[in-house]
Amino acid sequence: MDTPLLRICDLRKSFTLHAVDGRLIEGLNGVDLDIYEGEHVALAGTSGAGKSTLLRCIYRTYLSDSGSIEFNVGMGYELTALTDDQIADLREHEIGYVSQFLRAEPRRGVKDIVIKSALKEGIDEAVADEMAAAILTELNIDESLWGTYPTLLSGGEKQRVNLAAGIVVAPTLLLLDEPVSALDPRNREAVLQVIQRLVEGNTTVLSVFHDLDAMFRLADRVAVLSNGKVIDQGHPDVVINRSLETVAP
Amino acid sequence: MVNWSVQLQDLGCIYGPNDHASADETGPLFGTNVSETYDSVVACWDVNLHASPGEALGVIGESGSGKSTVMRCIAGDQKPTKGDLRLVSVEGGQRNIFEMDDSARRALRIDQLAVVYQDPSEGLDLKISAGGNIAERLTAAGWRNFKDIRDRATELLHRTEVPLNRMDDPVQTFSGGMRQRVQLAKALANKPPVLILDEPTTGLDASVAAGVLDLIRGLLDETGIAAVVVSHDFNVVEMLTRRCMVMHHGRTVEVGLTDQLLEDPQHPYSQKLVAAARG
Repeated sequence: MDTPLLRICDLRKSFTLHAVDGRLIEGLNGVDLDIYEGEHVALAGTSGAGKSTLLRCIYRTYLSDSGSIEFNVGMGYELTALTDDQIADLREHEIGYVSQFLRAEPRRGVKDIVIKSALKEGIDEAVADEMAAAILTELNIDESLWGTYPTLLSGGEKQRVNLAAGIVVAPTLLLLDEPVSALDPRNREAVLQVIQRLVEGNTTVLSVFHDLDAMFRLADRVAVLSNGKVIDQGHPDVVINRSLETVAP
Repeated sequence: MVNWSVQLQDLGCIYGPNDHASADETGPLFGTNVSETYDSVVACWDVNLHASPGEALGVIGESGSGKSTVMRCIAGDQKPTKGDLRLVSVEGGQRNIFEMDDSARRALRIDQLAVVYQDPSEGLDLKISAGGNIAERLTAAGWRNFKDIRDRATELLHRTEVPLNRMDDPVQTFSGGMRQRVQLAKALANKPPVLILDEPTTGLDASVAAGVLDLIRGLLDETGIAAVVVSHDFNVVEMLTRRCMVMHHGRTVEVGLTDQLLEDPQHPYSQKLVAAARG
């Protein structure tokens, strides 16, 4: 079998709440997971199982306590050992993270946000403009909104603009946290098709979906998390029968 | 290979009797930056930072945490007790700028290291016009041709969104937000590789502050300037910076990627600060 793109070994994360007498909250309790290039792995499990925590530890929005996250296994980097500068560079070019929340500069138009994201990847300005228009169209963001500031958009529109900015140039590894949570059926479908297209284009995806239909439709493999550990993984159809209790209690 | 534009190492600044031992009884562990034994204030100690081209580094902390002293030492407004400051644009980063004499140090402010102060009156002469303020910085750098100076000032004010029909009005007739834009235009006049921003939007109302922040972010992206942003406002830091350090009682208590510092602060003081800012 090929070497994985991402290999997570015994990853642990706890949160120390200094304001509450240093209380310790367990996040991850030794996660082991391999993800292969061009694969879409979805994380399942109940709320609080550690799904989002795992995505954030990979992206270093959370600092993991111990364990390793190897990226480009064999020739790449151990993410937990990299400096903040190196992680920031990887974020710009290799690892993308899209959550349901848009954090954008207040006075920048929708299309500009997406263009800027493409320019960061060294794309030529005219090409970036075309790419932004294409992805916004694909995600059903009406052209009349392209010049407006994101503060004026609905929740679902913001979510799709955020996705557009995150994938206008597809990263090697895309971390998706609830990409369809606030969307109506038509827009949900548009987003799912875009994700499908990215994976077909060899982007590796690690996702969290509350929407089980979406998860079973898109994921090549489901990893079930419980109490901060991967307790089962495999083809969605297999896992749903085997670990149904945990996936959809 | 050097990849920073500015690098500060081991900065210390003591106000009062200058005894390094006073540092041993101050800091977060002691809950103060006042040394009773030596009757001194250890404003900052053992502070390190660097910023790469196009990168903005945030320095956050409450009043009295030492962040302004760090800024003033880098800017040259305050003499440090110890430390090493290098700009890659000055002798290829081989020279400790803290060891330069005063006049050479002041000269850096013309085109190597610009500062935007919280109070525009520190960075501008309010009695003269917006164009005149910029012209002053340009002539200091050797610009002599009136038309060239005028053109450059126009370009800068246009870029910083100051109405050009106000160019010849004294800055004291401008609103707070406009003064801050003029200060920014002046700071950028000679394309310095390093920019220091001290609470650039404090005192401005929210919509004006958002405009100034957006402008700064755009300018950093365009120019590749490395910036150090000193602020107590998390919104400022979140919008402008990629990495951030938290100061408390004169020490750095935490350094990290800005989103990590906001989402998963490690140090008790950072947690308190984030909780207070985020509610």
